[in-house]
Amino acid sequence: MSWEASGARQGPRIVVAMSGGVDSSVAAALLQKEGLQPIGVTLKLQECHEAKESRSCCGVDGIARARAVAGQLGIAHYVVDCTRAFELEVLRPAWEEYSAGRTPSPCLLCNEHIKFGLLLSWAQRLGIPQVATGHYARVEHSLKGEPALFRGVDGEKDQSYFLAGLSKAQLSAVLFPLGHLEKAAVRALGCAMGLSTAKVRDSQDACLVSAENSFADMLRERFCAVGRAGPIVDEANKPLGQHRGLHNFTVGQRRGLEVPSSKRLWVKALRNEDAALIVTDREEALLSHRFVATGMNWLVEPAPGSVCEVQVRSRHAAVQATLLKREGSCVTVELHHPVRAVTPGQAAVFYAQSRVLGRGWIHLP
Amino acid sequence: MLYLDHNSTTAVDPSVLEEMLPWLGPRLGNPSSIHTFGQEARRALDKARAQVAHLIGAQPDELVFTSGGTESNNLALLGTVASSRCPHPRMAASAIEHHSVLTPCRHVAERGGTLLLLGVDGDGLLELAAARSSLCEGMLMASLMLANNDMGTLQPVGALSERARELGIVLHSDAVQAAGKIPIDVKALGVDMLSLSGHKLHGPKGMGALFLRRGTPLSALSFGGHQERGLRPGTENVAAIVGFGKACELAAERLQEDAAHMGALRASFEAAALERLPGVVVNAQAAPRLSNTSNLSFEGLDGEALAIKLELLGLCISTGAACSSLSHEPSHILMAMGRSPAQARSSLRFSFGRENSQEEVLRAVEILVQATQSMREGR
Repeated sequence: MSWEASGARQGPRIVVAMSGGVDSSVAAALLQKEGLQPIGVTLKLQECHEAKESRSCCGVDGIARARAVAGQLGIAHYVVDCTRAFELEVLRPAWEEYSAGRTPSPCLLCNEHIKFGLLLSWAQRLGIPQVATGHYARVEHSLKGEPALFRGVDGEKDQSYFLAGLSKAQLSAVLFPLGHLEKAAVRALGCAMGLSTAKVRDSQDACLVSAENSFADMLRERFCAVGRAGPIVDEANKPLGQHRGLHNFTVGQRRGLEVPSSKRLWVKALRNEDAALIVTDREEALLSHRFVATGMNWLVEPAPGSVCEVQVRSRHAAVQATLLKREGSCVTVELHHPVRAVTPGQAAVFYAQSRVLGRGWIHLP
Repeated sequence: MLYLDHNSTTAVDPSVLEEMLPWLGPRLGNPSSIHTFGQEARRALDKARAQVAHLIGAQPDELVFTSGGTESNNLALLGTVASSRCPHPRMAASAIEHHSVLTPCRHVAERGGTLLLLGVDGDGLLELAAARSSLCEGMLMASLMLANNDMGTLQPVGALSERARELGIVLHSDAVQAAGKIPIDVKALGVDMLSLSGHKLHGPKGMGALFLRRGTPLSALSFGGHQERGLRPGTENVAAIVGFGKACELAAERLQEDAAHMGALRASFEAAALERLPGVVVNAQAAPRLSNTSNLSFEGLDGEALAIKLELLGLCISTGAACSSLSHEPSHILMAMGRSPAQARSSLRFSFGRENSQEEVLRAVEILVQATQSMREGR
């Protein structure tokens, strides 16, 4: 006796990471329209300890929304449990960065190790060569088949910054169906196709936020760690007070500094050795002219002394820079104009116009 | 799609569906109503109750209709605890029970009770001597499944019941997987309570029953109606009950034939699998098992990924109890059998049904060969 599943299951298969948001839903629908057979996969990244309260803390509603839209499209949908890998490859390294006085970039780690690491190898083990996501970025291939990564057409939504750590092998196996579209057009497509997720509001980094806690504090609780308390000092190392945990601070921050002062104070730096927070009352002291990027992932090898653009935070604009000395996987970067709050631990992504050249991690000398 | 997942659920038999349809349409009566329509519905319930009772050698008045196996297990366990009024009830259950037995037991244990887990051997069979000596006077109840859902191992319920009776311990058995696959006689088994489910034997989902031996004390867990002797109040799901009754009647009629058919399918399947698939182990092979269940470990492969690969190739099976498929926890059953988490995660359950054919079984093995080869190469 043979049973038939509902829905049309035809065409070459492709795994689509479906978060339950509008972007990945439309990505799946577009691929289906092109004649591919999307296999929807929702990554379960965290255990839900409050399952009965149905909160968005761990993506459980995301799973349900993705399942609903997969049902609408008549495509298969699986939940892949990545909780252990997410903890090992994303959350724990992120906490270690915070405790060392750095500000981690967990979304990049997640893309590099989970979405285009674990999920891609999961797909390939099943004999499915490619993974698609709803990211706003473009991949184009040269005549020789070399992949190149570009910013998404929608400048507001561009997510190439978060994808810049992917290897060429990874980029060869991914599809970003939304890279050529504006967000508004994607939402309109979702509405026009009647997708149940068309009106779901944007939830960037939803996997990392909680209602009560900052991300850093959530990590501290999760790993049962104690925040590293230490002194607050001025630029001359004069003690001004105490703070209760280095992980609560990042460069350029003004809030949460419990120091009696008539002046406005900013965090200038976090010192790992003694967990000290160095503050300044001169805003211009937050400007950097130079930094070192380590752990470089080069998609395009730059010539020494070449000029390109660099973006040092996800929401920053890219600025002109010269790549100075290269040693191993490190490069010294000279900014043509000083940039505010260049923060150790954040990703530095290098561009030539809209093309991604590479990604490194920011270190300050 | 080739379906070898009958321990998760079975298709409603066409004759069952036919009996149910009028009760979803023109036969609208509430069995509690005094008029003709009500009487008609009441008689349909009586008939179904007799059909279910017949399958397990019980009297019709010893059955309480429920919404399925999970509710039957909860009612049996929590209803016995409630009726005992004992502040510190002591309970025993095998370590390989379904979650719908283990979780209510743990619930009781967290609120002042104690739960003793009875161990199993490497084949998933209860360690009977140890279990016998663990039962002791003053223990309120024990629960031992008749057949395990993942392995199919048949548990020595009859042998444990003598000991339970000597000690005055209420004995419950979850027979959800066994019913319709092996003959069941509640008197010979000596159990006080036994859980049944409709959809595992070609009846409707959301339908089950609890056998309650006459004189066994039980408290209701919900209130507000006289239905099912007040043990399960609320207007009866007439269509599902009628379907369940018919499915039990059919199962009783076809039991020998079905068991022999599925046994032959499994024998071919396991022989072909062992021959064609390197690194495959048949779990619980040495134990007495349901004739339709085959649990295989695939050394070095992830069961969940393999299950999805199989589906992509047109074969539907399970990594284990369907209820736990959202979590990637290794099967508590294989863990209780002494397997490592990696071994437990590499196991798949194949469960045959009366609709399956020899040709399908061999096709399933071909698909398995293809899937395991491509996954081993893909590493």
